[in-house]
Amino acid sequence: MKPIRRRFPWAFLAKRVAYGALAMLVIAIINFFLLKLAPGDAAEALAGQAGTADPVYIAQLRAQFGLDQPLLSQLWAFVVRLATLDLGYSYVFNERVSVLIFSRMPATLMLMGAAIVIAVIGGIVFGVTAARYANRWPDRVISFVALLLYGTPPYWIGLMMILIFAVTLGWTPTSGMENVLAFNTGWDRVVDIAHHLILPALAQSIFYLAIYIRLVRAGMLEVLSLDFIRVARAKGISERRLSYRHALRNAVLPLVTVVGTNVGNFLGGAVLTETVFSWPGVGRLMFDAMFQRDLNLLLSILVLSSFFVIVANLVVDLLYAIINPTVELK
Amino acid sequence: MANPILQVENLQICVRKKPGVLILRGVSFHVNAGETLAIVGESGCGKSMTSLAIMGLLPDAVEKLSGTIRFKGRELPIADNRAMRKVRAAEIGMVFQEPMAALDPLYPVGKQVLEVIEEHEKLPREMAWARVIDLLTKVDLPNPETLAWSYPHKLSGGQLQRVVIAMALACNPDVLIADEPTTALDVTVQAQIMRLLKRLQRDTGVAIVLITHNLGLVAHTADRVMVMYAGNKAEEAPTRDLFLSPRHPYTRGLLDATPNPERASAQGGVLREIPGTVPSIADPMSGCRFAPRCGNASELCRARFPEPTIEGAHGYACHHPGTDARV
Amino acid sequence: MDRVKSLASAILRDWMLLLGLLLLATVFFMAATAPFFFPQPPDTMMGPPLQWPGQYPGAPLGTDGLGRNILAGLFYGAQISLLVGFASVTVAMVFGILVGAFAGYYGGWIDNLLMRVTELFQTIPQFMLAIVVVAVLGPSIQVIIFSLAVVSWPAIARLVRGEFMVLREKAYVQGCIVVGMSDRRIIFTQILPNAMSGVTVMSTIMIATAILMESALSFLGFGDPNVTTWGTMIGMGKNNLRDAWYIMTIPGIALLLTALALNLVGDGLNDYLNPRLRSQRGQ
Ligand SMILES: Nc1ncnc2c1ncn2[C@@H]1O[C@H](COP(=O)(O)OP(=O)(O)OP(=O)(O)O)[C@@H](O)[C@H]1O
Ligand code: SF4
Ligand SMILES: [Mg+2]
Repeated sequence: MKPIRRRFPWAFLAKRVAYGALAMLVIAIINFFLLKLAPGDAAEALAGQAGTADPVYIAQLRAQFGLDQPLLSQLWAFVVRLATLDLGYSYVFNERVSVLIFSRMPATLMLMGAAIVIAVIGGIVFGVTAARYANRWPDRVISFVALLLYGTPPYWIGLMMILIFAVTLGWTPTSGMENVLAFNTGWDRVVDIAHHLILPALAQSIFYLAIYIRLVRAGMLEVLSLDFIRVARAKGISERRLSYRHALRNAVLPLVTVVGTNVGNFLGGAVLTETVFSWPGVGRLMFDAMFQRDLNLLLSILVLSSFFVIVANLVVDLLYAIINPTVELK
Repeated sequence: MANPILQVENLQICVRKKPGVLILRGVSFHVNAGETLAIVGESGCGKSMTSLAIMGLLPDAVEKLSGTIRFKGRELPIADNRAMRKVRAAEIGMVFQEPMAALDPLYPVGKQVLEVIEEHEKLPREMAWARVIDLLTKVDLPNPETLAWSYPHKLSGGQLQRVVIAMALACNPDVLIADEPTTALDVTVQAQIMRLLKRLQRDTGVAIVLITHNLGLVAHTADRVMVMYAGNKAEEAPTRDLFLSPRHPYTRGLLDATPNPERASAQGGVLREIPGTVPSIADPMSGCRFAPRCGNASELCRARFPEPTIEGAHGYACHHPGTDARV
Repeated sequence: MDRVKSLASAILRDWMLLLGLLLLATVFFMAATAPFFFPQPPDTMMGPPLQWPGQYPGAPLGTDGLGRNILAGLFYGAQISLLVGFASVTVAMVFGILVGAFAGYYGGWIDNLLMRVTELFQTIPQFMLAIVVVAVLGPSIQVIIFSLAVVSWPAIARLVRGEFMVLREKAYVQGCIVVGMSDRRIIFTQILPNAMSGVTVMSTIMIATAILMESALSFLGFGDPNVTTWGTMIGMGKNNLRDAWYIMTIPGIALLLTALALNLVGDGLNDYLNPRLRSQRGQ
C-alpha cells in the first residue's frame, strides 16, 4: 500500500513569489511616501530627530537618499537600496541597519515561535474541552476566561506576570533573555534561555490563546454536527478517535489559516512584549529606534517585517495544502 | 423458515426529559436473516429514528423511553455507547442518505474503509488493506488500488455511496440498514446502487432494512414491508400482500397516490402526499393518529387507539380496515 | 417599536450583553463627569506620593509616585480611550466601507486592485505601522487616531466587500439595476443599509482593539504627551512595580473592563442582529 504522491505546486509558488515581490515594491513605495510626509526635509527628519543634528551626517544622508534628485529617481534609488538590503547605517547604534536587524531576528523568532506554540496548543486543548462540554460549566468557564483574556492589554498581562511569578514568587527571572554573567554554555544555556522565555512567551500568547479557544470551540461544534461524524460513529470507532482523528483535524484547518494571518500581529506585539521583558529582539530594537528617533531604522524594520510576513504567509499556504487535500494550489 | 435476527419490541422514543413528546409510540417489528424489509412512510414518521435507535446513535436531544431491541436473541444496550461500538459495523452496518457528506474529506477513501476493519478485527495491516481493495472491487469501483488513495472530493456521489456500502459491509454484518440510500443520487445511479445491494445480499446473506419513499423500489426489492405513520406501525405485510390487499386506510392512500407501483420509479418514484397534515409529535391525542385524515374514521377511532390485528404474516392497526382487494 | 421591544427582551435575556452595556455606560459616565468630579487637571499633584488605595481620603484609589490622584486619572483617561477608540474606528469605517463597497459592487479588476491593496495593508504588521505613522507625523491625539484608522480599515473593507458581493446578486438589487437606478444610489441606499449589521458588530469589537492599541502606544511613551491616558498610567506605574503595584494594576483593570464591555456588547449585538448565527453560541 503506497499513497499517490501529489506534485509540488511549482506554478503556485512562482505566482506567489512574483506577487510577493510586487507587494514588497508597493510597501517600499508606501514607506517612501510616509517619509515624504514627515514635516520638513526628509534628511533632517531622518537625522535631526535622531538628536545628532550633525551637518556631516545630514549631508551624508542627503546624498545617500539622493534627496537632491527628482522624486522619481529618489524613489527608484530607495527601492534599489531596499532590494539590495542596503538599508544604510545607524549612527545611534553605530552599526549597519541590516546587520542590526538580522542580529536581533533570532531572539524575536524564538519568542514568536514559543508564543504561537503555546497559543495553538492551549487553544486546541481548551477549545476541544469547551466544545465537548458545550453549554455546561466547563465550557462556560473557559469561554468567559477567553473573553476576559481577549480584552486584556498584553503588555499589562506581562507586567502582572512579572509581578506575580518573578517578583513575588521568584519562579522566573524578571527580564532579559539569559543570565549573561553566568557564562552558561551548551545545555545549561538552553535551560537558562528557556527559563527566561517562559513569561514573555506566555504574555505574548495570551491574546491569541483567547482567539484560538473560541475558534477551535466553534469549529469543533460545527464539525461534530456534520454527517461524516455520524457515519464514523456508525463504523464503531471510539469517541477519542472520533474527536482527535476526524473532528479535530477538520476543526483545526481554519486555525492554520488564522495563525498565518496573525504572524504580522505577533511581530507587532513583539514591540510590547520585548520592551516589557527587555528581550533583545527586533521589537525591542524598534522601541529603541523610536525612542531615539532613528526614523531610517524604524522604516527598515517595518519593511523587513512585512517581508517576513509575506514569506510566512506563503509557508502557511503550502502547509495548509499539505494538511488539507481538498485544496488545489493554483 | 422465519428466523428473526433482529427484533424490535414496543419501542418508544421521546424527546429527552419530555416523555409526553413521543417520536416513536411503541413500534414492534422483526427482520429475518437474509431478507429485505422495507420501511415506508411520510417524512417525519420516525423511520430514521428507528434505525438510529437500533445502531445506538440516537441524537443527544432524544432518548429511549421503553421497549427492547434484540439482536440474535440478546438485548442491545443502545444507551451504552461503549458496548454498542462492538455492534456497529461488525454486526449491523448502516448506509446513510447523503453520500457526498458521509466521508471525512481529509482521508483517502481506502483508509476510511480500513478504519472499520482495524477497529473490529485484529488483522495484519497488509491483510486488512487487501480486504479493503477486495471490498472496493466487490462494490464495482474501477481501479480499486488507485481509487483507494483518492480523497472523497474526487469521487462522484454514486462512487461515494459504493465506498460507504463497502464500509458498512467490511466486517460482514448480519444486518444492513440503508436509510434512503439512493435519494440523493440521480435515477440511473439509483438503479445501479440497488442492483449492487441486491447482489451483495445474495453473495453474503446479509439482511437489509431498506428505508425509502420509493414504492417502486419496494415492489422490486423488498420481501416484506412495514408502513409507519406518525410514530406508529400502521401495517406490515409481505410485499405482494401489501400491494394487492392493503388493509390500513393510510397504506391504501399511499398506494392510491401511486397508481402503478411498478412504474413508480419512472414517474419520479416519490410518495405523493395524502391531504391533511401529520399531527405534531407533542399532540397527546388518545385515538388513532390517522383519524383526522381518514375517510373511515369513526367515534371509536377518535376515542381509542386501534390495537394491532394479526392475520398470518399480515398485520395492521385499524378499527375499520378496508377489505376489497385492489386490482 | 417591535424591534425596540425585541431588543429590550434580548437584553434582559442575555445577561452578558447587559453586563457589557452597564460597564460601557460606566466608562461613558466617567468620561463625561471627569471635569465635574475633578476640576484640577489629572496631572496635578493632589497629595503625598505612593498612597495605597484607601490610605488617603483625597484619593480613594491612591496616588502615584508623583502624588497624582489615580481616580482622577481613570476618569480623564476614559475620555481619551473613548475618543480615540470611537474616532479612529469611525474614520476606518468610512474608508473601509467605501473601499469594500466599490470592490464588492463593481467586482472585476476594481475589486482585484482594491483587495490586493487591502491585503497589502494587512501584511504590514499593524502595531509597527501605527508606531511608524506616529514617528513620522509626531505624537498627538489626531495623529494617533489617524494611525489607528490606517491599521483598522482593511478588516472592515474585506467584510463590506463580502457582504456586497452576496447582496449584489439579490433580486431586489438586480431589480434596481434593471430600472436604471444610479450605482451610487444602489450602493448607498439599497445595499449598504443591509450590510451594516455585520459592520456594526465588527466595529464595536474593533473599538476595543483600538483602545488597547492606543493604550499600548501611550504605555511605550509614544502617545500624546499632553494628556493622561490609562496607558501612560500603566507605563509610569511600571517603575513602582515592586513597591506600589496598584498604580499599574488599577488602570489595567479599567482597560480590561472597557475592552470586555465592548466585546460583550459586540457579541450581544451579533446575536441580536444575526439570529441565524445564534446557535453557534448555544441556545
Ligand atoms: N434532535 C431532535 N430533537 C427532537 N425531535 C427530533 C429530533 N430529530 C428528529 N426529531 C423528530 O423526530 C421525528 C422523526 O424523525 P425521523 O428523522 O425519524 O423521520 P423520518 O421518518 O426519517 O423522515 P424523513 O423521511 O424525512 O427522513 C420528526 O417528527 C422530528 O420532528
Ligand atoms: S383506526 Fe379509524 S381512523 Fe385510524 S386508520 Fe383505521 S379507520 Fe382510519
Ligand atoms: Mg429520515
